[in-house]
Amino acid sequence: MTRTSAPGVRVKDLTVVYKTPAGELPALGGVSLSLAPGTITGIVGESGSGKSTLALSLLNAVQPPGRIKEGTVEIDGLGNVVELTGEELRRVRGRQVGYVFQAAQNSLNPLKTVGKQLLDLGRSHDFDDLPALLKDARALLGRMGLDGGRVLDSYQHELSGGMRQRVGIMFALVLNAHLVVLDEPTTALDMITQAAILKIVRDVHHERGLTTLIITHDMGVAAEVTDSLAVMYGGRVVEHGPTTEVLGAPRHPYTKGLIRAIPRLSGDIDEARALPGRPPTLGTIPKQGCVFRERCPLRIAVCDTVDPEPVTRDARTVACHAVGRLATPVVPKEYV
Amino acid sequence: MKTVVRRLSGHLARGLAMIWVVTTLSFVIIRNIPGDPVRGQYEKLIEQGMSPDAAERATAALYGFLPKGSLWSQYVDYLNGLIHGNLGQSLSTPGTGVATIIGSAAKWTILPVLGGTLLSFLLGVTLGVYAAIKRSGKLGDALAISGSLLHGIPQYVIGLLVVAVFSTLWPILPAGGPVDIDFTPGFNGPYIASLIQHATLPVLTYALASYGGWILAMKSSVATVLGDDFIMAAELRGMSRGILFRYIARNAILPLFTILALSLGLLFGGAIFIESIFNYPGLGLLLVNSIGARDYALMGGTFLVLTVAIVVANIAADLLYAVIDPRVRKGAEA
Repeated sequence: MTRTSAPGVRVKDLTVVYKTPAGELPALGGVSLSLAPGTITGIVGESGSGKSTLALSLLNAVQPPGRIKEGTVEIDGLGNVVELTGEELRRVRGRQVGYVFQAAQNSLNPLKTVGKQLLDLGRSHDFDDLPALLKDARALLGRMGLDGGRVLDSYQHELSGGMRQRVGIMFALVLNAHLVVLDEPTTALDMITQAAILKIVRDVHHERGLTTLIITHDMGVAAEVTDSLAVMYGGRVVEHGPTTEVLGAPRHPYTKGLIRAIPRLSGDIDEARALPGRPPTLGTIPKQGCVFRERCPLRIAVCDTVDPEPVTRDARTVACHAVGRLATPVVPKEYV
Repeated sequence: MKTVVRRLSGHLARGLAMIWVVTTLSFVIIRNIPGDPVRGQYEKLIEQGMSPDAAERATAALYGFLPKGSLWSQYVDYLNGLIHGNLGQSLSTPGTGVATIIGSAAKWTILPVLGGTLLSFLLGVTLGVYAAIKRSGKLGDALAISGSLLHGIPQYVIGLLVVAVFSTLWPILPAGGPVDIDFTPGFNGPYIASLIQHATLPVLTYALASYGGWILAMKSSVATVLGDDFIMAAELRGMSRGILFRYIARNAILPLFTILALSLGLLFGGAIFIESIFNYPGLGLLLVNSIGARDYALMGGTFLVLTVAIVVANIAADLLYAVIDPRVRKGAEA
């Protein structure tokens, strides 16, 4: 069942709702996104835009009180993971899809050494050759600039934040999963450690031929490592395309605003302009119409009533009425 | 190893200081309780027409000693005795050493209370895990409510209910005493069967009375651990159910070990209400009776045993914690 090549992923019309006293509120409102085999895709967006929920959906691991209400997540070789349950689902997690947890710094059992937890992982996935697993782990940790033997004999509290993060990445890669999801892998790390970890992620991605998804709210990280970039807002993918194009020539007004808000290292801080208004929360996401209209400079009448469909043109997908109007008429294409 | 020794010696020094403080306090308090059996006997003899000298000799002969001198010199004598391992003579049972009496009461306390504690611990902890995992379901609610209810009912009420049900309404078990006197003590079937029969209700009462505390503590501890990041991380790594359960259980049970160790120490105080209800001649009943009889030496001895047990349990809990929690171990080495 082990795959040797990078799988493609197709998320289609994914709706995830969270149960609250005010009823079921949508965290993801019909998201469609595909990850091409062998690429690094980034997802950027503000806190609460649904990035992590989308990432968790790839493992069918949306935590209660949330649930996947509609849609499919097709992964090559695994089928629709939304339909997987129980043991079948458990075996996919870790073995087929590696996941680096958002709070990777606390992703270890404090009472067991890293090595013992690695053995637990191996046993959970019926690895017979545990010594080889330990050897692989040591090699991976070594690649990430750590003393593998020492780390495997350590408890979580004996490791620094950056070391724990790398241990988390090791756990995601050591079983040779070919789809790897990293949820904010470098948040809370200093710049140098961040750069080192991103380099590792990129190197391992190319070496092993993975399909990688990186969630971040850091445009710099996205620019540095990703091949394609999806921008999320209010539980929707508002723009998706090759990273250089999305960042170099953004089409969606939100993407434009986001990029304009980044302060430059050289130049006047005043050039960075913050987006006016606030991102919607679960409770304030509009029931109809475009989720971004309240903050949008291009707002037109139709935005109040109709949620814009994602439209794909030249390998770029944008969900905006105004952008559609400005450009030559486009035919909404089936999502590929 | 060196650090362990240093740590242990620190514990021992603090423990001894604690024992000394408690001993002194209980000495002072006990001597100030109104009513003095020796004085009473002495005065009774005089009333009966004895000369003071004769009365004093008779009283001294009866009790084996006579409190004399100031409180301070009595205190010094008492401490001196303790240091030499002498807990003194009982006043209410003249001619018997306090140590002997406590020793014979201890065997009636330790096994039943130990049994009850361990039974309720195992039951409470197991069901607590279940109650936490199923906390949004009916069964989880029912378990939690049973815990709160039993935790809220005082021991003696549970004891009386248990007697009412199993000895009166449905008389299958004896209501009092440690063993039937018909059997010869020793390692023989009928005697042991009788022991177990008599111990069942006290153990049951003890287990019921403390089960509520365990289930509630374990439930909240498991609920906390379930919310921890590493449990979700383990799930996302596809750890098997068994391993996941062990991760949860081991982390959740940690804080309960301290409580367990302390309640094992408290065990030497006996279960006063339960032993009174079941007329079980354990340490709790002994303590009550010694207070009733103003038996200073026996009171002091019982308090001392309890104090030492709790101090030892504390030290044991601390050392045990270092074994099971690597973070504490690290702290000790630093």
